[in-house]
Amino acid sequence: MELLRRPIFSLLLLLSLPISFPSISLGSAVQGEDGHREEEFTEELLLKPLPDRKVLAHFHFENTAQRTQSYGRHHHLFPKAISQLVKKFAVREMELSFTQGRWNYESWGGFDPISSSNAKPPGVELWATFDVPPDQVDASWKNLTHSLSGLFCASINFLESSATYSAPEWAFQPASGNLRYGTLPREAVCTENLTPWLKLLPCRDKAGISSLMDRPSIYRGFYHSQRLRLRPAKIIADGADSGIVLEQTLTVVLQPNGFRTKSSHSSENKIPPTWAMSSLLGRKIEGRCVLAKSSNVYLQLERGLVAELNALKENQEFVGTTVLNDDLIENPAFEISVKPDWVLKEVGNLPTGSSSLMYGYSIGKSTDSGPFDLHLTWKSPMVWSCPRPPLHASRFLMGSGNERGAIAISLRSTGLNEGLYGSNKDKESCVLPVNVFQVVPWYIKVYFHTIKVFIDEQRKAVPDVIEKIRVSPSEDKVLPGVMEMVLKLPCGVKSAAMTLEFDKGFLHIDEYPPDANQGFDIPSAIITFPNVEAAMHFNQFSSSDKSPLLSRFREKNPVQSYTEVLLVPLTTPDFSMPYNVITITCTVFALYFGSLLNVLRKRASEEERLLRAKGRSSPLSRLLAKLRRKKEVEPQSSTTSSSLFSSKLVVKIILVAAIAICWQYFG
Amino acid sequence: MLADDMACNARNKYPAQVFNNENHRLNLYGDNVEVDYRGYEVTVENFLRVLTGRHETAVPRSKRLLSDEGSHILLYMTGHGGDEFLKFQDSEELQSHDLADAVKQMKEKGRFKELLIMVDTCQAATLFSQLHSPGVLAIGSSLKGENSYSHHLDSDVGVSVVDRFTFYTLAFFERLNMYDNASLSSLFSSYNPSLLLSTAYYRTDLYPRQMEQVPVTNFFGSVMETIHTDHPYRYSKRKGSSKGKIEMSLDQAVQDEKRRILSNLGDQNIDSDTKCPMGSMIHMWNSILDEIEKFEDRDTLVYYGLVMMLPLLAVSSWLSS
Repeated sequence: MELLRRPIFSLLLLLSLPISFPSISLGSAVQGEDGHREEEFTEELLLKPLPDRKVLAHFHFENTAQRTQSYGRHHHLFPKAISQLVKKFAVREMELSFTQGRWNYESWGGFDPISSSNAKPPGVELWATFDVPPDQVDASWKNLTHSLSGLFCASINFLESSATYSAPEWAFQPASGNLRYGTLPREAVCTENLTPWLKLLPCRDKAGISSLMDRPSIYRGFYHSQRLRLRPAKIIADGADSGIVLEQTLTVVLQPNGFRTKSSHSSENKIPPTWAMSSLLGRKIEGRCVLAKSSNVYLQLERGLVAELNALKENQEFVGTTVLNDDLIENPAFEISVKPDWVLKEVGNLPTGSSSLMYGYSIGKSTDSGPFDLHLTWKSPMVWSCPRPPLHASRFLMGSGNERGAIAISLRSTGLNEGLYGSNKDKESCVLPVNVFQVVPWYIKVYFHTIKVFIDEQRKAVPDVIEKIRVSPSEDKVLPGVMEMVLKLPCGVKSAAMTLEFDKGFLHIDEYPPDANQGFDIPSAIITFPNVEAAMHFNQFSSSDKSPLLSRFREKNPVQSYTEVLLVPLTTPDFSMPYNVITITCTVFALYFGSLLNVLRKRASEEERLLRAKGRSSPLSRLLAKLRRKKEVEPQSSTTSSSLFSSKLVVKIILVAAIAICWQYFG
Repeated sequence: MLADDMACNARNKYPAQVFNNENHRLNLYGDNVEVDYRGYEVTVENFLRVLTGRHETAVPRSKRLLSDEGSHILLYMTGHGGDEFLKFQDSEELQSHDLADAVKQMKEKGRFKELLIMVDTCQAATLFSQLHSPGVLAIGSSLKGENSYSHHLDSDVGVSVVDRFTFYTLAFFERLNMYDNASLSSLFSSYNPSLLLSTAYYRTDLYPRQMEQVPVTNFFGSVMETIHTDHPYRYSKRKGSSKGKIEMSLDQAVQDEKRRILSNLGDQNIDSDTKCPMGSMIHMWNSILDEIEKFEDRDTLVYYGLVMMLPLLAVSSWLSS
């Protein structure tokens, strides 16, 4: 009877399933109709030729999710690890970046959205804001660093100690609140950091644009930076629960192969090297990720390049050749293998007049038209300039010796600050504000009263130039030294510099890292230009298909640049000293006790000799007897030696030889 | 635990790749590598914390050894070492009695059932001389007073890429196929002191079972490569049977092994003589091929070949003159 019941029961279940399916699908459809409540994932890749013959590849993955009040939540595209992290530590906004290499602001740009938000300091940089009361922020930060170190296989847990992180108030991010910022300049970045980052994507690195990530090609680049950014989503209707937006970007600067040997000497009149996606990254895009809402590849031509191309076009038109299109797809300078699906032009008031162009390609599903590979062949030599920040920031150390030194931040004009006058005709009152944020470890003891400011190589009084300054002095082994300040520089400034003196501190022997003689790092300073926006507006070809990458480009973020990391040699002790001390002390003890015992032994035999000599009479006769004994002993010993020469010596020789042979064979 | 970042080091000519052989055939730093402790985190303190499980509360699960009383643990240590110590980061040392203490704590807390310690340093056998907890097996690459050497230099990368002990361990595992049931005794007896240039010493007094009964998969995992085929797979019987013969002999003691191989060859020769005269030539050729297959060191084979070429050269030059 039970056997009968079971198949009937299973049959009933089978029959009821198709009835329940439409209800399930209806349910999801209901969720889907409510626009901002579903999860979305988009993937994009931007390629940009750079003026110094390199190519920038920028991957952008964006994942949106709905945050709910309940703890248990099933995610369909959003990574559970991140949502659990956000829920557990009440993270409001967070950014974590792993970088190797230094962003070259002169050749790769500093004014465009990519360099402003993706040029990061080497090593690990982490900042986060929390939704907890101010006294619990430090505890949340500590737990967050530990969780992230486990998630990304990095030593981010070193940021837990209060001597490594700081709390900037207005120089780093405007109106921050519970912000904590920490950086590790010497952290290595390798495959084990990229793999968990890729595992947060719905398609991992198996399908879609993320399948391009060939590890040797990425780590061969001049600069690579992977970044993870969490922010609350902008809510349309109710303000009760806000969604999370997870933005993952990977920025790589690569050199196309085959031109390493040639371009050693003057590369000005040489044609830039041809490159293809398969030659740069080693792979082609086989198909899109099926879970992605949109999958696009963009090729961006910078304003400088477009200006040069237009000039070339005008020359050709003047000569009398065919009229070329406005979108420059067919032009005399280079050739693209695939015709773009759409062309976007930059809009808005631009300083130079020419606008940047963006060619867009939509990646189709799997192998409709074969794998996607983009080739760019250059036909004529081309030189152009990239948009640089108003002032080029750099930082260096001054002074010598192990006792004191000075940090100098220098800002040099790149010619772009001239264009900032704008409509303000009054050149005297035009002022360029510059925010400087610098964190210095506690063993670099900075003296803030020694700040000197120079504008155009002339010393100026500090209150004239520094409008606002906030300083958090360092405390030995507990807090780092934090400096936030706003400098007001005249718009037409050619060069500005700021110096700060410091004393070098001493570390306890346990606090030295194993490679102490390399030196210690002072993390990068952050220079921000709050009045200057790095934003690019492109005309959207259709309002329904919004690209998250281009939306990020439209954000009004201030231009930001990072200075170099400084390496400071500190006084290091001789780590072999304990060993040396023990060896010397033991030697001294051995010599002392050894000679003491030896001397004691000799005394005892002296007493015996004295007893023997008591048989003789006076000291003189004793002396004579001593001398005579010596004379007696000598012939005696000679006779004895002559008689014993053969046997004793031979025995000794044989013994030594036997020991040597045994040592040789058995040692 | 990797103290130095070798794969993505600026001096590495092949970024994100670490090879164990000059031929660069196998990249050890694959796409799924996971390094939990690296750089300045590799300290003796962290190592002992991982073993004993005494972490701070904030330490995440991926950085803990989540083992219980039924776990089999493989602990592989390599680097510079000496008499009763192993060097960490060139500034710290792990002493043999500290390791023995940690293992004792692990046993008391029930954190393992069986533990295999492999050490590849100079004077490696001294590092586990103080162990006294049951269920522990240990093998070191050299005895007290002996050095352990690297195997070969990769002149392209510029460093020695693998140590001898590690190289021969890998060679042993590369020789096995999916169906082999090799035991730990075959692994331990596969080390040849003249090739290693040191004596590989193993310690089994704390282990309850016999070496011959413990399969290597007790401690070493295997990666099965699945290939999707549309056609049925044909299993060739000839190869399997000969492999089986060799495997049986490997599982015995060394002396028995030698005797059995000789007797196998002898049987083959006797059989061939009764069958046909040409068959003897074929069987001798097969026996030569078997001998060649057993050669572990291809270098000696090449040297033998070169040496045999000399009389041939002499004969040919005499004939031509």
